Amino acid sequence: MMGIKMHIKPTVLLAYILPTVLLAFLPMAGVPRSWIIYTFLFAIYLAMSNMWNLLAGYSGLVSLCQPAFLGIAGYGMVIGTWIGIPWWIGLLGGAALAAIFALLLSNAVFRLTGVYFSIGTLVVPEALRMVFYIWRPVGGAMQGAGAGYMLRGSGATLLPSYVYWMALILGLASMVIMRIVLRSNLGLGLAAVRDNERSAASCGVNVFRLKVYTFMISGAVTGLAGAIYFLNMGYIEPSASFSVKWTMAILLATVIGGIRTEEGPIFGCIVTVALYFLLARYGGYSFLIQGVILIAIMLLSPQGIVGLLRKMKWYCKLTAYSEG
Amino acid sequence: MGHGDLFTPILMGVMLGGLYALTALGLSMVFGVMRVINLAHGDLVVLASYGSYAVLTILGLDPVLGLVITIPVMFVIGVLIQKYLMSKAVTIGAEAPLIIAFGLSLVIQNANQIMWTPLSRGINTGYSQASFYLFHRQFPMTYLMDFVVGIVVMLVLREFLRRTYMGRAISATAMDPRASRLMGVNTKRIYYYAFGIAMISAAIAGTFLGMTFPFTPTSGTTFLTIAFGTVIIGGLGSLAGTFMGGIILGLVQTLSAYFLGANAQMLVLYVVIIAILAFRPQGLFGR
Amino acid sequence: METEPILKIENIEVFHGTFQAIWGLSMEVRRDEACALIGANTAGKSTLLDTINGVLHPATGSIKFLGQEISKLDAFEIVDLGITQVPEGRRLFPEMTVLENLIMGSYTPNARKHCKENLERVFELFPKVKDRQKQLAKTMSGGEQQMVAIGRGLMAHPQLIMIDELSLGLAPIIVDEIFRTIHQIKAQGVTVLFVEQNVAKTLMEADRAYIIETGKVSLSGTAAELRNNENVHKAYFGV
Repeated sequence: MMGIKMHIKPTVLLAYILPTVLLAFLPMAGVPRSWIIYTFLFAIYLAMSNMWNLLAGYSGLVSLCQPAFLGIAGYGMVIGTWIGIPWWIGLLGGAALAAIFALLLSNAVFRLTGVYFSIGTLVVPEALRMVFYIWRPVGGAMQGAGAGYMLRGSGATLLPSYVYWMALILGLASMVIMRIVLRSNLGLGLAAVRDNERSAASCGVNVFRLKVYTFMISGAVTGLAGAIYFLNMGYIEPSASFSVKWTMAILLATVIGGIRTEEGPIFGCIVTVALYFLLARYGGYSFLIQGVILIAIMLLSPQGIVGLLRKMKWYCKLTAYSEG
Repeated sequence: MGHGDLFTPILMGVMLGGLYALTALGLSMVFGVMRVINLAHGDLVVLASYGSYAVLTILGLDPVLGLVITIPVMFVIGVLIQKYLMSKAVTIGAEAPLIIAFGLSLVIQNANQIMWTPLSRGINTGYSQASFYLFHRQFPMTYLMDFVVGIVVMLVLREFLRRTYMGRAISATAMDPRASRLMGVNTKRIYYYAFGIAMISAAIAGTFLGMTFPFTPTSGTTFLTIAFGTVIIGGLGSLAGTFMGGIILGLVQTLSAYFLGANAQMLVLYVVIIAILAFRPQGLFGR
Repeated sequence: METEPILKIENIEVFHGTFQAIWGLSMEVRRDEACALIGANTAGKSTLLDTINGVLHPATGSIKFLGQEISKLDAFEIVDLGITQVPEGRRLFPEMTVLENLIMGSYTPNARKHCKENLERVFELFPKVKDRQKQLAKTMSGGEQQMVAIGRGLMAHPQLIMIDELSLGLAPIIVDEIFRTIHQIKAQGVTVLFVEQNVAKTLMEADRAYIIETGKVSLSGTAAELRNNENVHKAYFGV
């Protein structure tokens, strides 16, 4: 079993927890509603971005099937409320479903490397979208476009603040998970695999198992983030969940912040959610601009914002202090 | 959905296969020469479809004749993509080409969406609506055109790669870039031309796809998946294999529409492609 | 008769990233001679050939071919000027026939003009190649592949042909045969620079040789001088 050691200095933990607690007070502080929405989205994206960073940045697996995880978890939770399962069990259950799905996919996609893996994972959300258009596991046939489900039960009447706090906790947890994983044997193994899979294997690293664990963790947390998002929305449909727009947002957040850096997703999500607000009125142009930014960052500053920050001495000193 | 007449879906599947093979050509070439799978390939094909649509609706020119315009435009786009995006991406890191291609894919999708709205479009000329009759059964003329065009383009490409100095240079660079450089091949420029030629085939594919099926700005993902599936089934590096791959996928689609209904056909196609990826990524004919 | 060397290398330094492979190396190749580079595997011989050919570029120093500075030129330009390399391991295009490989050799504009006559020449020098011209390159034996590779090099209409590790993996009889052909090529006016690990054989076939150790020239001279040199005997013949 992979050894997982806690490598977190108390001061660093405080650096993560303090802002989270402060942000938690936002709903009570009477700030504009848009601030709450912004922070909510930030936390959700942070969790997803960290998970994608784990796959693409640290494991060399450019996964394009994140929407599959969040959609499955979301659908799991929402449909659960139709058959009497309370939303909070549905949340965890949805995340579990997503992890299981990742496990099932593993066998198929980990035979593929590089691009094959990416295209394979690109196809999966598409296929799921079609499945959920046709398949109505509960409830009768729905009229009109889309095949969505409304949230039912106590979840639908949940206080928005509760959901907000759940998102914050998840965002925090994702940062902690990243810190733990990267400094554990799992993280070391992933770095080795990313560098040179064959020599990692010949050193006794069980490459397949590493990838499966990573994929499952990523799936579960992404799924949970998605489920919380749909808990907030109160409604889920195939084109909102299994959409490549999620992939775009996650990629953009991670790349802008700095792929393969621990603090990158924080910066990236701050910028991406801000962009989302700024460009929302421009509709289609918003995604066009985001695509252009993605390409530009990748070409001009592949290490993103963190790459630029690292050129400054004060930043290096600050982050060196936080190393375990 | 009767079970009496298999001839129709089978013939349609084979003809469709020609078009699918044509769609896959560009992807196969870029991968063979540059070792990069262009995630934006499907969207570039759709871009060409919209280009031909524009030629028809704005210039009033027949889209096949309009290829005189769309082909050079797509060729230049291909050269620019390789020169300014892909060649740089490869030097940055392993995930850079994928991410940049993904970004490009979304830029094209949304540009198309802004220009043409999400409304589904089709390229309809007089003859594209016509049918022909074989053994007392009716078939759309477009399918026949697709098949013929597919075969013709593949033959032309094969001769080009074998008989011209540039074509041989492209083949050689695909086989062994270092040895090619020692022969005096300017491999950088070969990459430009390879991408450009891939885009020429995308222009033709896009035009005929647009005449055969309605398309939207998001059709690119479907075209990419089909092209990729075709290339995988046929095995990389084999033109004949790509053709067989296209026919197999065409048959899968038409037969599943026949037995399971129109809604299921794309889903079955996707599942088959995922299955092949999972269990036999080297393809049915590959080396 | 003193003539300008066809290739003159002065004090070049070559890096692979941050790793220095060649240190202040100078040498020259004279017209119509068979010049050899001898040295162990990691000595930098292949790097040197790649640098001459333009695949790599020296950080400092100069390389002059027929009096023209070529150190900054790209590979395809240098091949057109008349230098060609037969790479280590032959590197024929596996899915092409022998004939297609040969024609691929005459890719540069200069070579294309002489494609037909060079093809005749190659078939004359290597009758076995002529017999097998329609065969796929990957189906040929090692010795045959080496002949095709050298033939392919000649198709580029070179004035200097560089052959990397000619005898690698080949039986002595074949190696002898190939060296005989090399002398014929030399007689036809093509200068030969070859890289070898087999020191004894090399010193029998070459006119002059350079011994390369860790990216520098450690010894040089005519083959006769080197054959009689004490240090060479100790290092390579164990005597």
